Amino acid sequence: MVSMTDTQGSVIERTPMMSRRVVGFLMVLVFGALALAPDLVNPGLLFLIGLTLIQAVFALSWNLLFGYTGLASFGHAGFFAIGAYFTGAMLRYTVPIPFLGMLVIAAGLGALVACLIGLVALRRLAGIFLAVLTVALTEVLGRLISYSPALGEHDGLGNIPRPKIGLVLWDLDLTSSRAYFLFLLCACSLITAALWWLVHSRTGRVFQAIRQDADRAAFLGINVARYRLLSFMISGGVAAMAGGLFAPWTRIVTLDEVNWLASTQPILNTLLGGVGSFWGPVVGAVAFTLINYWTRTFVGLSEIVIGGTLVLVIIAAPTGIIGLLHTIRNWVFQRTAGKGGTHERLP
Amino acid sequence: MIVSKSIFVLINGLASGMAFFLVAAGLTWVFGILKILNMAHGAFFMIGAYLAFSIVGSNPESMWSFLGAGLVAGLVVGVLGYLTDKIVLTRLRTVDYHYVLIATFGLMLFCEGVAKWIWGIDYFSVMPPPQVDQALKIGSSYVSGYTLFVIAAGLVVFAVIDTIMHRLWVGKIMRAVANDPWMAGTLGVNVPAILTISVIASFALAGFAGGLLLPNQTLSINVGSSFLLYSFLAVVIGGLGNIRGTFVACIILGVVESANATFMANFGGIAVYIVLAVFLVWKPNGLFPAQGST
Repeated sequence: MVSMTDTQGSVIERTPMMSRRVVGFLMVLVFGALALAPDLVNPGLLFLIGLTLIQAVFALSWNLLFGYTGLASFGHAGFFAIGAYFTGAMLRYTVPIPFLGMLVIAAGLGALVACLIGLVALRRLAGIFLAVLTVALTEVLGRLISYSPALGEHDGLGNIPRPKIGLVLWDLDLTSSRAYFLFLLCACSLITAALWWLVHSRTGRVFQAIRQDADRAAFLGINVARYRLLSFMISGGVAAMAGGLFAPWTRIVTLDEVNWLASTQPILNTLLGGVGSFWGPVVGAVAFTLINYWTRTFVGLSEIVIGGTLVLVIIAAPTGIIGLLHTIRNWVFQRTAGKGGTHERLP
Repeated sequence: MIVSKSIFVLINGLASGMAFFLVAAGLTWVFGILKILNMAHGAFFMIGAYLAFSIVGSNPESMWSFLGAGLVAGLVVGVLGYLTDKIVLTRLRTVDYHYVLIATFGLMLFCEGVAKWIWGIDYFSVMPPPQVDQALKIGSSYVSGYTLFVIAAGLVVFAVIDTIMHRLWVGKIMRAVANDPWMAGTLGVNVPAILTISVIASFALAGFAGGLLLPNQTLSINVGSSFLLYSFLAVVIGGLGNIRGTFVACIILGVVESANATFMANFGGIAVYIVLAVFLVWKPNGLFPAQGST
């Protein structure tokens, strides 16, 4: 068992729960089921499933920063909103850029803003500074948008048309919910695959080394500041891309996407699902949608349940749903090795 | 014209600065001693405001009933602080600070949900007590008596906290615990008790501030969030956990915000962030950096 005794102190053990073959099989199964969803479920539920896909990608982008690099952003909604408002405005005012190009530019914008913030805060990346700065970013963005008539001020940017994608040989029309959902599914899967590849690559290893112990990483010749900035930029870019996919799906973007509560969403999904696992944020996003769906009719109840769950998860089950599953599996099979329920505690 | 406008900006800025300080004081106290940035602080401020509102209603009869309601709200929220400390915060003492931030975030949501459930989602407004409800003429501009009341309240609270922290033995012990809890413990200081007392004091201060600032704005579930945000900025600019730094930073933020609202009304609320960025680059450890930080 690994036990670190440095001051950063957080140990996340990444023992895979299932073999990669099983995970791969499950992924194909889930993908197939989702691809059939437009024909099986009613439009309201399909809308929620689409939102969950976007939230899952959004949460994955946050966990790249937190679970893999050890930085916490408390204003990730700002990046999401940059993407959402960008594609929303481009489509609304029919700017002649291909939709895929818009998504790429949105991601670039997110990365650029992340870079600027990073240059101010990452020099001394004491987490509190980054936390306050990212919160401030979201607030400033919200204000600027509320002063901008072109972006709908307080009313939000509505009537966003869904795009058509011109491929080499034929045009892909995404106007219908069914077509856009399938596009969304493919896009989210591709982004997830790219993130999976990233965190399992050399760069991902470097991120994890920095999270476990920045000083030791620096001793090994890793440029800590640069890799933190890189992680922050990728995370911001992916969040902006999730926002870019969001605008045409809901067809309206409002200031509700640019506030504190929106920024908590990825945090919550990640913690609920489990920080220590790559798939944790995805599991959390699904669980969260279910909780919200069941408590939607009571005033204040969703906040009580969400806030309470968050506190409870941190006090009682810091490894989230996936960690709990781990513990249960170990208990059932009486295994002692590879404990999933390791607490992240300071010495 | 510009002179009278400047006086107006200055007085209003001082008043909002003091209002921020009333909230930020408790936040910076807990941060200094427990190293916890309590995201739920604004929510307890909001609960204090609702409690005081439930006691005095929309038209406080006298200064005394108004102040009394604030004190009762402070006491009740202090008790809530004790419970929160026992149930949640003590369990977070050894947890990585990221998780503490997130847990207090969860606490904030929880409190907002409970407040929505108890008081509903309507907006209320409260008048200042009659003694400070008239406008005063200073130079050629009018200032409401309540504005001066808020300034006075902020100054008094600062004077009290600063005396406790820098002049009394309690403050010495608290600063010792803040500096090195382990060492303070070996010298016979009851560290857990000091931590709990700090949390109670901080929460009580939040509740009291909620009562005092009731007439400052309409009362809604979100009343705490804007104050909390400015308090964060003040705590960061002032030097984390430093009460004097926070005080100065609150005044700066208040005056900048007020000047921004008067001279550049089209872009209200932007200037403070520029100030924040400038300070982060110029003085990354705050105006009054904590001892030992580089």
